[in-house]
Amino acid sequence: MATFEIRSLVKRFGKFTALDGVNMSADAGEVHAFLGPNGAGKTTTIRCMLAILKATSGTVTLFGRDAWKDAVELHRRVAFVPGDVNLWGNLTGGEVIDLFLSMRRAGKPDKARYDKYVSLFDFDPGKKCRTYSKGNRQKVALVAALVSDAELFILDEPTSGLDPLMEKIFQDSVLELKQSGRTVLLSSHIMSEVEKLADTVSIIRGGKVVENGTMAELTSKARGKTLEELFLSEYEGAG
Amino acid sequence: MAGFSNYFRFILKRERAVGLTWFVCMVAFEAGLASVFSGMFSDAESMRAMAFTMNTPAMVALMGPVYGLESLTPAIIMAQECLVWFFIAAAVMNIFFVVRHTRADEELGRHEMLRALPVGRLTGAASTLTGAFALNAAITLASALGLIALNADGATAAGAFAYALSIGAVGFLFAALTLLFAQLFSTPRGVSGAAFAVMGVFYVLRMSGDMNGNALSAVSPMGLGLKVQPFWLNGFAPVVILLTEAAVVAAAALAVCANRDLGGGIIPARKGKARASRFLRGEFGLAWRLSRGTIFAWSAGIFALGATYGAAAGTIDQFAAGNEMFSKMLASAGAASVADSYTAMVFAIGALLCSVPVINIAGKIRAEEKRGRLEQILAKSVPRERMFLSYIALAFVTSLATLALMAIGFYIAAGGMKPGALLTAAFEYLPALWLMLGLTVLLAGAVPKLAGLIWAVFAYAFAVFYFGKLLRLPELAAKLSPFGYIPQLPSQEFALVPLLVPALLAVAVCAAGVAGFGRRDVG
Repeated sequence: MATFEIRSLVKRFGKFTALDGVNMSADAGEVHAFLGPNGAGKTTTIRCMLAILKATSGTVTLFGRDAWKDAVELHRRVAFVPGDVNLWGNLTGGEVIDLFLSMRRAGKPDKARYDKYVSLFDFDPGKKCRTYSKGNRQKVALVAALVSDAELFILDEPTSGLDPLMEKIFQDSVLELKQSGRTVLLSSHIMSEVEKLADTVSIIRGGKVVENGTMAELTSKARGKTLEELFLSEYEGAG
Repeated sequence: MAGFSNYFRFILKRERAVGLTWFVCMVAFEAGLASVFSGMFSDAESMRAMAFTMNTPAMVALMGPVYGLESLTPAIIMAQECLVWFFIAAAVMNIFFVVRHTRADEELGRHEMLRALPVGRLTGAASTLTGAFALNAAITLASALGLIALNADGATAAGAFAYALSIGAVGFLFAALTLLFAQLFSTPRGVSGAAFAVMGVFYVLRMSGDMNGNALSAVSPMGLGLKVQPFWLNGFAPVVILLTEAAVVAAAALAVCANRDLGGGIIPARKGKARASRFLRGEFGLAWRLSRGTIFAWSAGIFALGATYGAAAGTIDQFAAGNEMFSKMLASAGAASVADSYTAMVFAIGALLCSVPVINIAGKIRAEEKRGRLEQILAKSVPRERMFLSYIALAFVTSLATLALMAIGFYIAAGGMKPGALLTAAFEYLPALWLMLGLTVLLAGAVPKLAGLIWAVFAYAFAVFYFGKLLRLPELAAKLSPFGYIPQLPSQEFALVPLLVPALLAVAVCAAGVAGFGRRDVG
């Protein structure tokens, strides 16, 4: 059974069609990269998966169950990192992490994991969120996600604002998740990150998935071109 | 002060929507109300009757002392009824203006980009102050000219300028004060919180000074502004004093600004806890954490308001006894006791104010949504309804707490009144507050784009209460306000049905709002 499966997903906002029949799925232990230019529909797809938006038509299932109807139940098994982490200025980072973990309702979080990721990401949880830089706000969401013992990780451009050292730690953490059989949906613009982590790839453009397959398939398709060049041609629609 | 003229023009450009809206509204009301008032009175007798109503302790406490009884004009009555509200409106305008261009910019990192340009350390603060001065000056000039052009009854040219200048001077003093706070506090919330707190203190000082006829009202800029007595004394000395005070405060603000780090404040932000306490767990914990400041501040404010009016209640009968005309008027009207009608009026205004924190907390979910924070919450195992109901529950508790504290404050300060009767009189307004709560929930939950409309409902309720009798609006206008059905205890009779109807309606719209929220897109 696929960890998540999206079939013919359509999402309209009034007359505007944001998603025009998206198909995508991933199995357990798979890192699935989700690529596409800005405004192509990546975040809208992710929001439909998380029941933040209601699909106009089509089906979205997580662990074989309806993502909208069973959202609350399903979210115990899901961790999410948005690309733009907005936090409460008068709460500390540590308070937000604890709050997020308590809201997952998946039992007491593992103290050892908490300490591990706080120190790995060199994060000071005692500061008010308003004083955090973009990278540090991102760390709040990343630590909260990684500490939680979820089965599906939905990461929407999770490393924007992180320095190269933190980027490396993030990549190691994702590989660790993969080895322990977790599924990761990784939306990203960083090609080196994708090359290193992803098993399978979907490329979305104009609300439609235009390319779909394993990294190996894509590499053979690239025929001498670098992956970056291949993606560029896909983004432009010339490929 | 390098780059001053560019910076100043940039502020003007950014103000073309918000600043212009304030300008148009302030001028329209400052000048326009004159024609409303001049059409209101048929003869000198009706003006005198109005002035005597204005000379009751509650009215003096609310709006300041009455003057010019010897030769009343509609313009004088307008100044007595409206000036203090314009002071408050001007203060609010200036506080927001200065916060917008100082601390808010600094926190969002926009000021940093400007400072990276060839721009001096003081340029931002000085341009902001100049911008505030220009806005106040433009409003003052346009309002005064408007008043003269409308040529309303009793509105002399000197009076028109005195009237508009007193508002402009009080407003500009608040701009200077806010600029000072913007140097001291390191967050926009801290700055506007301090500025509004000072505004409240000034209002209470004025109230106390005006009621006891002592110097406290001159200490308060609002009391000082009222001493201009437009269309009668036209004293310009208070205006000069106000502007001098503003200059001193502004100089202090610039001195602090010259010596501080960008982003830093003199009063440091507190270091927080590394772990969440037991209370900050789950959606209710979050809702409580985000609302508790509002709840505490408003509870304290409403309690102080109740106590302030309560303290005056004791002197009411004495006041009536010393004022033959006033007691005669009450006797002829066959009204309930003086104290009762005073209490009823105070509670009606207090209840309206209590609806502000209730609306604010019930609508917080929409504010969270707009700031992009709600989607992270809903990505957890959090039922939408439960998140919404957490805010609704807190708004409900706030409605009880604020009304109770208003009555308790009144009781403690007044002395010799029945606590049970006061509490009943206050709690009578619960259904109205719940209806406001319900409407907020309906708008934020089901039609989020129109969530701001709740403030139009609030403004309407306030206007109908305040101007309804004055403008002789039809009964229907009052009944459209959520507060329109509530019998005003203790001067009116208790009745159950007018309370049940809004309460049931509140439950219905609340349920519709929550259901709508469960179904819609977020973000």
